[in-house]
Amino acid sequence: MKVRIVALAITTLLVSAGHAQEVQETFNGTRILNGHSTETLKAKVLQFRIEHRFGDMAGANGGIDNFFGFDNAADIRFAFEYGITDKLMVGFGRCKGTGAPYAGLLDGFVKYRLLTQTSDNRMPINLAVLGTSSLTYAKKVDDLSLIQSYPEFAHRMAYSAQINISRKFGERVSVALMPTYVHRNLVNTDDVNGLFALGAAFNVKITKEFGIIGEYYPTFQDATLRTDLSNSLSGGVEWTTHGHNFKIVLTNSRGFGETQFIPYTYSKWIDTDANGKKVAGQFRLGFSITRNFKL
Amino acid sequence: MSTQTTMKQLYIFLIAVLLLSTSAIYWGENTTVPAAKKALDVEAMTVEDALLMLGDDTMIHYMSNVDPKLVAVGEELIFNGWTTRDGKKTDRISHYFVCTDCHSVSREFEDISSQSPEDRLNYAKEQRMAFLPGSTFWGIYNRTSFYNKDYIKKYGDLVLNARDSLENAIQVCAKYCSSGRHLEDWELEAIMHYYKSLELKVKDLSLSENDLKNLRKYGQLKPEERKELIQKMKDSYVQGYDATFLETMPREERRYGEGGDVANGEFIYEASCLNCHANGRLTYLILGKNKLDARMFWRNRKNYKDKSLYQIVRHGTFSKPGRRQYMPLYTKEKMSDEQLNDLMAYIKKLAEK
Repeated sequence: MKVRIVALAITTLLVSAGHAQEVQETFNGTRILNGHSTETLKAKVLQFRIEHRFGDMAGANGGIDNFFGFDNAADIRFAFEYGITDKLMVGFGRCKGTGAPYAGLLDGFVKYRLLTQTSDNRMPINLAVLGTSSLTYAKKVDDLSLIQSYPEFAHRMAYSAQINISRKFGERVSVALMPTYVHRNLVNTDDVNGLFALGAAFNVKITKEFGIIGEYYPTFQDATLRTDLSNSLSGGVEWTTHGHNFKIVLTNSRGFGETQFIPYTYSKWIDTDANGKKVAGQFRLGFSITRNFKL
Repeated sequence: MSTQTTMKQLYIFLIAVLLLSTSAIYWGENTTVPAAKKALDVEAMTVEDALLMLGDDTMIHYMSNVDPKLVAVGEELIFNGWTTRDGKKTDRISHYFVCTDCHSVSREFEDISSQSPEDRLNYAKEQRMAFLPGSTFWGIYNRTSFYNKDYIKKYGDLVLNARDSLENAIQVCAKYCSSGRHLEDWELEAIMHYYKSLELKVKDLSLSENDLKNLRKYGQLKPEERKELIQKMKDSYVQGYDATFLETMPREERRYGEGGDVANGEFIYEASCLNCHANGRLTYLILGKNKLDARMFWRNRKNYKDKSLYQIVRHGTFSKPGRRQYMPLYTKEKMSDEQLNDLMAYIKKLAEK
């Protein structure tokens, strides 16, 4: 009987307004650019991700000498991510790591979508909660003044927790706010273990398949601390096809994962050279390619 | 006398005894029932029983009874692709589709002898049903021919043994059409019982009062009258649905919605396209009733690519390693060129072009 009711719902009521309730494709894919979106993979979908950040396009380390960064790799990530239910997903990946400070990273995350925006505005927003962690397995160094000395195993680990809120306005424009807390078990003396950031992002769809994205993750920090560090600012374009989502990004951050790009973005879009002159250049191209498999 | 003839007579005899004994029980309980109501209720009979009663041959997949427990199992397999057996969830038939993604389980035509896509669409609109690429399972038990006409172009020799065998047709569908696996014997048996539960009744046929009257007094009919009645009954429903594959409409023949029925088109978009694409239920391409999606189709209207409705409706996509789920094609019988033009008319309106 239960089956029959479900069947009736599918075969006869699909033509009603039922399917139009939830707002779809607020963001295309589970990531905005560096950070997560409120989207999750559907149940039983396995996604393989290849993500790459090249070297500096310009500035002292860029230019024609390394073909505008293409000869260098700031970070590379391979990952498998999986939708346990339509709302709950997990991911496990491996990053090269930027080396500043982490290298050879294993990462994992759990994301759960609590709220979904509806077209009648009864639910005006999407909301997902995200927990990530990373573990570096790089060989430790002898210099105890460096984070990479990892005196204890726990020092190799870092975590983040995020509340990801988004809303789609009309058919083309989506915005998101991502309050995030990042905790690192071992930091430099001029840093803080617990760091707050408030990410913000937008996505404007030009066509069904093509969109423009911006993302910014400012951190809240003591001005006397973390003075060398910058905030992750990224812009990009995306192209979506059936089963694939290509993103090409320009960003000043080098590493993947909230435990890298939020606390450890050193590069700046506009920097000052040795002569005190402002120069642009510490940003890089990156891409991510995803492929979905239905299990 | 041949064995077959003897068997026919035996069936007729057994059915007659069964009917008489049932009537006897009825009379025994209430002897005051007026004589007029004791007449054979032929309309409640199954078409198969009525045909056998008239002396027709048995079908290859003839089943003498329906087991309600197996029907329930078969129903679960059809709708969910799995069931519970010995306390455990069974392996899914397909990881990508269930049968009802492409086939309905209810009547699809007012006049079930019709194969007209217009009649089918009108009935679907009246009943608010999905407008699917596959033929309905309702009455499939009474059909004798499957994977007809052009399906050989898609499945080749695979359909040769499936054309006259319902069991083989189910296996081809489970393994190839649903990108799944062959069914185990118990699964096939359960699905057959489920199909048997959806078999046609005489009342579903558009028989005249005179034909029904003749059926009631079948014992008095001459052999040729019986043959004629058998033929009339068989002409009242489709023995095997045609499947005509069409090529992508040439660009110069496309009307891009001009003169099309927007209301029909909107229904087709909802009841066909969104049946699978809404919320990305079966596919990664999420579609909705919005301008961006409509503009994607409108922009590609002149192309010979998957994003052109003229192409994708007629060819669908193909199952391939890494992406086994695919879009089935719509045959001429399941969506006419006129209906495709209606769909384009709606797309044009939605795209505000």
